[in-house]
Amino acid sequence: MEVEDWAASSGGSSDSEATSPDSDNEDHCYAYGDIPKLQFRKDGSKARWNEDLGMAEIVSNKGRMWTTTGIVCGGKIYSFLEDTLFLAEIGALQLLDDDDKCIQLEDIYKKVAEGVGGTSWESFEVYRHLKSLGYIIKRHGVCWSMKRAKTVPASVEGESENGNKDKVSITEITQLFSKMRINEAKPIFDVYPPNSKFRKSSPGKPMFVLCISSGDPPTKKQIKDLEEQCEGIPMKFCYVEHGRVSFFSFNKIDLPVLP
Amino acid sequence: MGPRWKGKGSELKALANPISNSISDLQSSLIESNSQGILSGSTVLLATNPQQTDLLNQTCFGRPVITVDKPNQWFQFSLEEAFYLYHSLKCIKIVDGNHNIKTVNELWDYMVSKRASFPDFFKAYSHLRVKNWVVRSGCQYGVDFVAYRHHPSLVHSEYGVLVFSDGNGNRNGNDRLRVWSDFQCTLRLCGSVAKTLLILHVNRNGEDVICSSPSCLDGFSVDEQTITRWNPERCREDQAAVN
Repeated sequence: MEVEDWAASSGGSSDSEATSPDSDNEDHCYAYGDIPKLQFRKDGSKARWNEDLGMAEIVSNKGRMWTTTGIVCGGKIYSFLEDTLFLAEIGALQLLDDDDKCIQLEDIYKKVAEGVGGTSWESFEVYRHLKSLGYIIKRHGVCWSMKRAKTVPASVEGESENGNKDKVSITEITQLFSKMRINEAKPIFDVYPPNSKFRKSSPGKPMFVLCISSGDPPTKKQIKDLEEQCEGIPMKFCYVEHGRVSFFSFNKIDLPVLP
Repeated sequence: MGPRWKGKGSELKALANPISNSISDLQSSLIESNSQGILSGSTVLLATNPQQTDLLNQTCFGRPVITVDKPNQWFQFSLEEAFYLYHSLKCIKIVDGNHNIKTVNELWDYMVSKRASFPDFFKAYSHLRVKNWVVRSGCQYGVDFVAYRHHPSLVHSEYGVLVFSDGNGNRNGNDRLRVWSDFQCTLRLCGSVAKTLLILHVNRNGEDVICSSPSCLDGFSVDEQTITRWNPERCREDQAAVN
């Protein structure tokens, strides 16, 4: 048996897991006038922004997207800032203030920048990337539906003396994402596969929990801690840079002993 | 990603010739000829007879050195390979330029002086070799090692291996994959040659930080972890087919 030359032994074929990401052709340089423009939808939904909650309350819902977007609380649908901004960007939602005046896109961007809705620009980009592909996304640690009088989920703190127990807990959750310390890693979204029959009342288990880190890649310990938090649901990590989102899986394996 | 055998019959050929058998034959042959390697820089040179040449090629230890010398073939080994033959397989001795046979501690000190992370690299290397994986240098691929299920002529490499020294006070050990562009770079490299990135986390488990003798290796443990890129576009197509 001869020693194979190194260079010759590396095959050219690739595997689905090993395919390199976006081709370099994707980086278009747009000239003004070339940038795609989305059309405003004629019968979009309307929602009112609730500053205290950091969420929008859907006032009129049109379209099937509400079966997979927003959480249900006391019979009403509330959307997080990332849900709201996503729909506003594509013209499917008009956001109103307390005086029923339309909140412009610029001001919604400013809300993200300010952190009032608890989402960062990076986590919004991740959300948008997956949502556009049809995945169903919910903030980690929040239930799809809450009854008004129901006790909050175990993972959420925030007991309040008055009857607004669930609303207080949502506010606490909304703060989860806006302030991350450097090199902190935490779960942000529960992601479900595209599903036309999705029901918030029985969503099933998420396909994976998506985690993000605020600085460098996660350490082994951070990954281990996060996996424990995910309680058996697969965990993926995302990284956003300059509008490009990458996803990674960390897998514990045990190589077989070969004959 | 399962093993990608090269051509028809390779898998059967591999099954018929387990690496462990070849290594065992190599071991016997080197012991019988009282083989001595010459320590030179970060390399050990060894003269081999034709049978040993074949076995070294079959098991992918070392690289042949092309010379006019007859009938000897010369091979060169990396420090990990040499130490594996010397310490784990116990089938060669190692001498210096003055014909002095080196003791195990002399060799160890020497190798650690060449590279402080030698203990971790050696632990990772032997971790794979003990499981009968074929392990070669990964420098062409921007990784530490590449691991094959059998001889590279029969099968494509499955793993590009990086060695992390955990618990040494560094964030990820050895400052490997320290920033996201390191990740992207290494994964892209591995992906373009269809290898999965395998991280071997070597944990010293509180062993003497100086690691003054090879016996400290016994306290080390190795955890295996792969890092793969997930492609939501492709996954969605698979999902649609299922729904």
